[in-house]
Amino acid sequence: MTVQPDEVVVTVTVNGETVRHLVDPRTTAADFLRDGLELTGTHLGCEHGVCGACTVLLDGRSVRSCILYAPQLDGCEVTTVEGLSPVPGELHPIQEAFRECHGLQCGFCTPGFLLTVHEFLSETKGADEDEIREAISGNLCRCTGYQGIVAAVQRADETWQR
Amino acid sequence: MAAVTGTSVRPTAPPGLIGTRVNRVEDARLLAGRGRYVADVTLPRIKHAAFVRAWPSHARILSIDTTRARTLPGVVAALTAADLPPATLVDGNWIPGLAKTPQPVLARDKVRFVGEAVAIVVATSRYVAEDAAELVEVDYEQLPAVDHAGRRPSGHVPILDELPDDLIYDRGESFGNPDLMFRDAPHVFVKDLALARSMAAPLECRGTVASYDPAAGSLDVWCSTQSPHLLRRRLSAASGVAEHRVRVMMHDVGGGFGQKIAAHPEELAIALASCALGIPVKWIEDRRENLMAAPHARGQRVHLKLATDDDGRFLALRARIVGDAGAYSFNAASALIEPYITARVMTGVYRIDHYGYHVAAGLTNKSPVAPYRGVGFIAAQTARELLIDEAARSLGIDRFELRRRNMIRPDDFPYRSCTGLVFDSGSYLEALTTVERMSAYDDFRCEQEQARASGRFIGLGISPYVEPTGWGTEAMNQIGWHSFPSNDSARVSMDISGKVTISIGTPSQGQGIETTLAQISAEVLGIPLDDVVVSFTDSSSAPTSLAGTRASRAAVVSGGAVGLASQDLRERILKVAGALMETDASILTVADGVITDPSEDAASMTVAEVVQKAFQLTEIRSAEPEPNFTATRFYDPGATYGNACVGAVVEVDPQTGGVRVLRIVGAEDCGTVINQVVVEGQFIGGMAQGLGGALLERLAYDENGEILTTTFMDYLLPTSTEVPHFEVEHLESPSPYTWRGIKGVGESGTIGAPAAIAAAIADALAHTGSTVDRLPMLPEDVRAMVEQGEDRG
Repeated sequence: MTVQPDEVVVTVTVNGETVRHLVDPRTTAADFLRDGLELTGTHLGCEHGVCGACTVLLDGRSVRSCILYAPQLDGCEVTTVEGLSPVPGELHPIQEAFRECHGLQCGFCTPGFLLTVHEFLSETKGADEDEIREAISGNLCRCTGYQGIVAAVQRADETWQR
Repeated sequence: MAAVTGTSVRPTAPPGLIGTRVNRVEDARLLAGRGRYVADVTLPRIKHAAFVRAWPSHARILSIDTTRARTLPGVVAALTAADLPPATLVDGNWIPGLAKTPQPVLARDKVRFVGEAVAIVVATSRYVAEDAAELVEVDYEQLPAVDHAGRRPSGHVPILDELPDDLIYDRGESFGNPDLMFRDAPHVFVKDLALARSMAAPLECRGTVASYDPAAGSLDVWCSTQSPHLLRRRLSAASGVAEHRVRVMMHDVGGGFGQKIAAHPEELAIALASCALGIPVKWIEDRRENLMAAPHARGQRVHLKLATDDDGRFLALRARIVGDAGAYSFNAASALIEPYITARVMTGVYRIDHYGYHVAAGLTNKSPVAPYRGVGFIAAQTARELLIDEAARSLGIDRFELRRRNMIRPDDFPYRSCTGLVFDSGSYLEALTTVERMSAYDDFRCEQEQARASGRFIGLGISPYVEPTGWGTEAMNQIGWHSFPSNDSARVSMDISGKVTISIGTPSQGQGIETTLAQISAEVLGIPLDDVVVSFTDSSSAPTSLAGTRASRAAVVSGGAVGLASQDLRERILKVAGALMETDASILTVADGVITDPSEDAASMTVAEVVQKAFQLTEIRSAEPEPNFTATRFYDPGATYGNACVGAVVEVDPQTGGVRVLRIVGAEDCGTVINQVVVEGQFIGGMAQGLGGALLERLAYDENGEILTTTFMDYLLPTSTEVPHFEVEHLESPSPYTWRGIKGVGESGTIGAPAAIAAAIADALAHTGSTVDRLPMLPEDVRAMVEQGEDRG
């Protein structure tokens, strides 16, 4: 791999698979995931870090991939919505709960919510409605009015064996 | 969480898939990150576009120099209006008296709002395209901005030369004899309401991929749109490519709410760029562009007068409405979409025989106004309901009681309003009573007094309403609104395996249309839900829908067309089954994919066996005049009106002006329910958007026409912590004029919630003597109410 002066090497483990890519250093992490790795489940809703649609997990913590640069992923582990379910064709209990509780409509904000909720439920059990609303307050949804999403988090809290 | 309970004012249909709560069929792919949005589309040789957008709000273009931009490595082209065939967009509204304002796809001689597209740069990546866009040099001669409809700045230069006073419409109409009624009325109440600009703000911004093939002479376009056939017409007109060689394709759309009805100038510009360059060109809008240059909404001032007798009976109503059009009367529906609809639905759920209105709409140097969920209804609903509350307070009549005295009653149906709307069926009084019960109104009054005594200010607002849905030809005739034709068909096709594919021109932007239409078809055909799919819309194969998905109409219009086509198909299948089973087809039943002859020891065949034989056996085929299993049906429904009532409880902090919504309750009636999951999603999601419009969302401009709200840190959407848990009950008054009694519900919650929240604020601060006169009510506006009260002492 010949590195041009305006490129940097990024080595990153995404959804369990380690990849090595040359990138223009100003490439955002979101564009790298979407265009470089063709993981288009990560969506861009504002590109200034407010809406949360681009949320992914970076070493287990939720981050906004639209305001990170791809080189900042170097040496890290990233989980995107495509990596939530270990088995293709099956849904993770959080995803299943969103389906059962009508926690999505257009689906554009959904991947960001799923990863935010994954981080929250990884650390918490038995949260009440106010705590759940606080936990997801950094993600915008324009369709659902959040009611189905809150219900889905409550459901996943019960069904996800963790 | 509170359970959602259901009641019914009419007997419901026998149990079947229609009316069953089923999880949505589209969810699995969306949850797995396998939704396909326009930003995910890529093609060989594709290049990326960025627009050069105007920074002045009103200016003559003296020159555009693209030289530096074109020399940047990676740039393919920098195109201005001079490089593309001339193309304009004009609204299709044919209301008499409305001036036309042709909008160039790229600004040619003048720019008229901040963000108007002036040039396109096409490059190897969006990054390079944006770099190059900054190198395009545009020389402007700035002109004074018209920042307010009807207001002329000093040194005023008309926005369009042809309209010296910037007015595009200025007319009124009278019903009954309001002059006489006002002259003799014992009481007259007056209300002013200013509705700020806000916008749909779907989480997915706009976007287009266009690919012109010079060899084939064909233009393929992927777009985040609500109206693929409408877009195809506009693309054909702009590009000169014949309509049958233009193909508009769409997969998932990340929300629309009206913003994606129009053919947008940018979409046409991208197609023209692809035609000019002979390569695929992709444009994915960013949020700054969307807030600045995608169509805005609302922007109205309403002046309302109500005459009553001593018992509070409504004698007459008068409205004067001024709409802020923005820089063009936009092609989505014209600038009248807000003020004219407001005027025509102003009398609401009440018996008012004497009514007059005057509507004016003026151009301003702002982004054009287009439909956004609840368009026009919200201004009417909020102004009227606030005024009724003020009248109730003044007359000393309870607010529920005053409404009850004036409301259209169950035995009035079909009820013809003075403006000509024929309300087909509904549950207006029952919805009001339901909300009275749900909000525990009597207990609330005690609670409110106790709270006030301890320095807390809580208030309750109520908002009963009726709304046109479905929007077929008859509804448009009644409303006097003619901006799109109701011409919609659906195709239902059964393949040789007995499975069904539905094709429509009214695609989903998240409403769950894939699920609800599959439910309808599966029930009518008597096959499992899993045996039906709704395909993504491709204009080259989908039956025409000239309007697309808008105006709470897809469930009614496409639902009806799918239902009728499925009935045709069912008859054809049973006819073949009758021949195969050697029995009279009319006695056969079909359920769960099995056709049964009840007379012959319940002899049966599966639907799949029947169609396989019909596809393969010439003796079966030859008996059929049209031996296929595809049915296409047109459907133009009668006028139908949904109704609901929303109640809100808020707490106002008089120190900060902050408003906290404590409860929202709603009783909705959209006729026959296809799927409660989807109806609740629409109703609740709509109420959340209404909450945003009531308390948070305002697109702000300064006096020079500079937009101040270009990020989600300035333009605030509701988050999970501003939105309460919504409590919902269902009423069901099927329409006598639509297929299976279906009514629309897409806009409902958005219409009702703002008035309920505004009225709750007014109720909480009623002791100050101040009134709510604007939306949204931002903290400074609430503080102003408190201060005005203190000034009055």
